[in-house]
Amino acid sequence: MVEGMQVEVTFLTRRGAAVMRRSHTVTAETIRFGRGTSNDVPLPDIRVELTAAVLRQRADGLFIERLGDSPLRVNGGTTEAALVGPGDEILIGPYKIVLSNPPEGLHAALSVELVQTVGDALQRLMAGSRIGLDQTWLSKRRASWVLFATLSILCLAVPIVLYSMAAGVKRSISVPVDTNPTFLGIAWNPGEISNPHRYFAQNCAMCHQGAFSLVKDSACLTCHSRIGNHVKSAAESDPDLVHQRLQTTRCADCHEEHRGLRSLVIREGALCVGCHRSLTEIMPSAGLRDVRGFPDGHPQFRVSVVADATTRRLTRIDLDAQPKPADHPNLVFSHAAHLVAEGFPALGYKPMVCADCHVPEPSGQGFLAITYKGQCHDCHTQKFDAALPGKEVPHGDDERVMTEVEGFYASIALREGGPGGGAPAPEIERRLPDSLSPPPSDPPGRRAWVRQQTTRALGIIFDEKRGCFYCHVPDNTRGPYHVAPVVMLTRFLAPARFDHAKHTPIECDRCHDARRSQASSDVLVPGRATCVTCHGAESASFKAQSTCTSCHVFHRQELGPMRQVMAGEK
Amino acid sequence: MTVVEPAVALSGRPSRHESFLIYARFRYLKIASAAALLSLLLYLIDSPYGSRYGGSWAGYTLGTAGALLILWLMWFGYRKRSYLKDQGNLVAWLSAHVYLGLSLLVIATLHTGFHFGWNIHTLAYVLMCLVIVSGAFGVFSYVRYPRVMTENRHGTTMPQMLSRIATLNDQLRTVALSADDKTAALVECAVETTSIGGSFWRQLSGHYPHCTTAAALTGIAEIPANAAPELAAAMRQLRVLLDEKGQLLTRARQDIKYKAMMDIWLYFHVPLSFALLAALLAHVVAVFYLW
Repeated sequence: MVEGMQVEVTFLTRRGAAVMRRSHTVTAETIRFGRGTSNDVPLPDIRVELTAAVLRQRADGLFIERLGDSPLRVNGGTTEAALVGPGDEILIGPYKIVLSNPPEGLHAALSVELVQTVGDALQRLMAGSRIGLDQTWLSKRRASWVLFATLSILCLAVPIVLYSMAAGVKRSISVPVDTNPTFLGIAWNPGEISNPHRYFAQNCAMCHQGAFSLVKDSACLTCHSRIGNHVKSAAESDPDLVHQRLQTTRCADCHEEHRGLRSLVIREGALCVGCHRSLTEIMPSAGLRDVRGFPDGHPQFRVSVVADATTRRLTRIDLDAQPKPADHPNLVFSHAAHLVAEGFPALGYKPMVCADCHVPEPSGQGFLAITYKGQCHDCHTQKFDAALPGKEVPHGDDERVMTEVEGFYASIALREGGPGGGAPAPEIERRLPDSLSPPPSDPPGRRAWVRQQTTRALGIIFDEKRGCFYCHVPDNTRGPYHVAPVVMLTRFLAPARFDHAKHTPIECDRCHDARRSQASSDVLVPGRATCVTCHGAESASFKAQSTCTSCHVFHRQELGPMRQVMAGEK
Repeated sequence: MTVVEPAVALSGRPSRHESFLIYARFRYLKIASAAALLSLLLYLIDSPYGSRYGGSWAGYTLGTAGALLILWLMWFGYRKRSYLKDQGNLVAWLSAHVYLGLSLLVIATLHTGFHFGWNIHTLAYVLMCLVIVSGAFGVFSYVRYPRVMTENRHGTTMPQMLSRIATLNDQLRTVALSADDKTAALVECAVETTSIGGSFWRQLSGHYPHCTTAAALTGIAEIPANAAPELAAAMRQLRVLLDEKGQLLTRARQDIKYKAMMDIWLYFHVPLSFALLAALLAHVVAVFYLW
């Protein structure tokens, strides 16, 4: 039987440098350490198990043994059981137990100290808490700097560098640039490039030739150097208001890029009307009427007609003018007579249609000029002798007609009326009664015969019921068998551009009242009222939207280049 | 939200709290509305050739106004941290900041002429919209959360709650001394690893899936039938303490969540506004660099 132990237990409490000791003696068989109050040495902390360890007095000394699950540390090392003596340190939970030399009569003396104090509960609570978003890794300042720097570099610095590099390179628009989109092209592009410019416009420096400056005309003139003028060039010494205005207007004032795929041209009529509403005042020499808009404010069309075909003089007359404008092509022609319902035998009695004579030109915009050979000859032949069905006089040159007819008869006379006379050529014998009678054989008689035959034939040829003057007008100032020159216009509304191809589905009759026209002096070109049946203002909802550029052209090639490109300029 | 008559004391400063939204009888709402209407008028009056866009004269005017407005709005960040005197009432600044910031949405959108694309210009506009939207959330949170926070606190303050939780922790320690080891371990865990707040997601969501206090409560929910009376008593007391601590924790965490909601939008609002500043600078330079 092991006798009981008597142990002196001293509880130490430190406050700063001072140490408080509280000692008492414990008598027990074994000294048990633990949280429970039944232990010999109670260690009142929940970090200690109810029964943590036991100290036994054995024959060979004091033994400390672990009883619970938590580790027992003796002199720094974890152990299940260990022999301990004075000076040894045992750690149970947060408590340090140090053995010292026991006083007389006692088996052991130990001091117990709570070395891992819990400290202030609130402090520990705060230490383990992170309250407030500013305690986290989020940082407004860091994020702000990062974003600011990134965007400044990517979107400001890099494009400027790229532009400066590209601006120095000599450009050639006939060689497309590298089609890979450049970063600058994407980052700074404020709007879609128009379709015709897309193949070179990834390089901004092609048009924007200097930083912080507007696009210059010279950039546009690189390609468009010969673009036509709008007015005839004025004398350098006396440019009027209109010329000044046109000279100081930049290309970019009327041609806007970066507005999408559509063309650059500004469609708004207001751009044109700005000058054209008061043109009679600021440039009366132009002879243009004021226009305020379309359809309201647009004057009636002025049609070009031939005033005098002989001198090829044209004139432009308002379609509403009184008397009605008349054309003078020097041609006798009736549309009505050709468009009769019963048709003509030569064409199989099918009624004629417009397309039988009016052939569209390849682009479809207008029509090919009417020619005798193309349109008239098939029905209106130039035969002059029923006995010679295949023989026709040439068309278009009245002198030549006379010469050829005379020559024709002269050649007959030469052949048949020779000095020895001769048998007449078989074809001559088969002539009808009032045709040629054989030429006499003597030269004076032959000449007279030729003259007589020629005159007879020319009379038939130029007859107004069967011959040239059926359609043509005689020019008596030059003689009996002379035809006045014919001038037939193909374009009647000259400055405007009407595209028949775009109007194909519309019947010709809708606009051209040809069926009732009996004279070639009739002007069959429709006026404004006809167009307005379908065409409305530029913002019309229920009519075709029309603006100035729908029909009119600003840059007119025939007036020469608008801008003089200086030598050395690109 | 009820409209409160501004209680202007003799000193000229209101003696009752007046929301920044109704400050001075909606003075800045009226000013901002007038600015927006004026912008609309400008937009409608100018009809350039083609479509309206940022480079027409109205476009330039609206753009300049918008840019200056952006700079002034950003200046608020400096003003609210400045303690110099005679700079104007801060609540007036805030009221103006909010309403004029909202009117900026109108002004800038009209300035774009409704042309958008994949470029720096639209990027600046989008960043501006994000800033304004985050600011609108800020307005919403400043109107809603203070009230729910006050209600949640039930008359206490956060330091008081934390102090009470700490006290409960100490009490738990003491009571658990007479509990069994398993319970003591649970309580020790609950006391030592009380998590309040934490990562930004934790704070914002108010979700604490590994709450040790809740685990401890679950752990001692069943008192063994054969437990000794002192142990049973200890466990019952622990339950009461843990329950109270749990409720306090919930309240504190909810408070943190509301506070986080009141703060989180600024983590978007401020960095995005600096991004906007950079984009705005790039936009303006780009427009005139390639004029």
